[in-house]
Amino acid sequence: MWAFSNVYWLVLPLVVAISLVYSASRHESWPRIWSRSFRLCLWILAILIGTRAILLLINTQV
Amino acid sequence: MSQQRISLRDPVKAAFLAWLVPGLGHYYQGRRGKALLYAICILGIYLVGFILGEGKIVYWRWVNPLSNPEKFAPHYIGQFFVGLPALPALIQGTIRHFAPDSNFLWGFMAEPSQIVLNGMILRLNKTLEIGIIYTTVAGLLNILAIYDAYEGPAYIDLDEAEAEAEAARTQASASGAKAEGAV
Repeated sequence: MWAFSNVYWLVLPLVVAISLVYSASRHESWPRIWSRSFRLCLWILAILIGTRAILLLINTQV
Repeated sequence: MSQQRISLRDPVKAAFLAWLVPGLGHYYQGRRGKALLYAICILGIYLVGFILGEGKIVYWRWVNPLSNPEKFAPHYIGQFFVGLPALPALIQGTIRHFAPDSNFLWGFMAEPSQIVLNGMILRLNKTLEIGIIYTTVAGLLNILAIYDAYEGPAYIDLDEAEAEAEAARTQASASGAKAEGAV
């Protein structure tokens, strides 16, 4: 029923929700919440993609 | 403390409401925007996870995790903090503990049998795990929301601006004293 072509797309809404909720719990002003959550979202995605790239690299070299 | 500048009304009641339904505590405090954000994000993530797991991944069973780790459902500890949407699982788990043959609420959110679980693992594979992660993370995120309802946000812009102004004043007076000393 829920056969996604690539389950990695499911990471995206999770990361967005985590960033928004975390930033909202730290700040009260909306411009700051949006900007901080956007930054956090990019950071998390960058770390995930970077880690994935390193693991892929190791896997292809071994 | 910065928290005193926002009216938190009754923080204990707000925290309880925030646990009961994500966003409800903030709605009670009059922080409607945040209430909507928490409700959409937390309930949305929970709902997506619940659907991905075909409604059979939120369940609880009363077992000793040390003597029976295979039967223990640790993900429910996270899911529990979503509040009302995950509460039937705790009620079902408790009823089934005392009356194993009970068909309360037609088994809604009751622990699925091992055969059903095995079938789901084979059929859904990673999607099942992602469903568990979604619902568990939703509960963990609600802990942040509960804390925000109880204690208020960690930073407030006004305080940050005041802190910056204070730092600038301190720096100015320090540099002024240094200049006087030089003269």
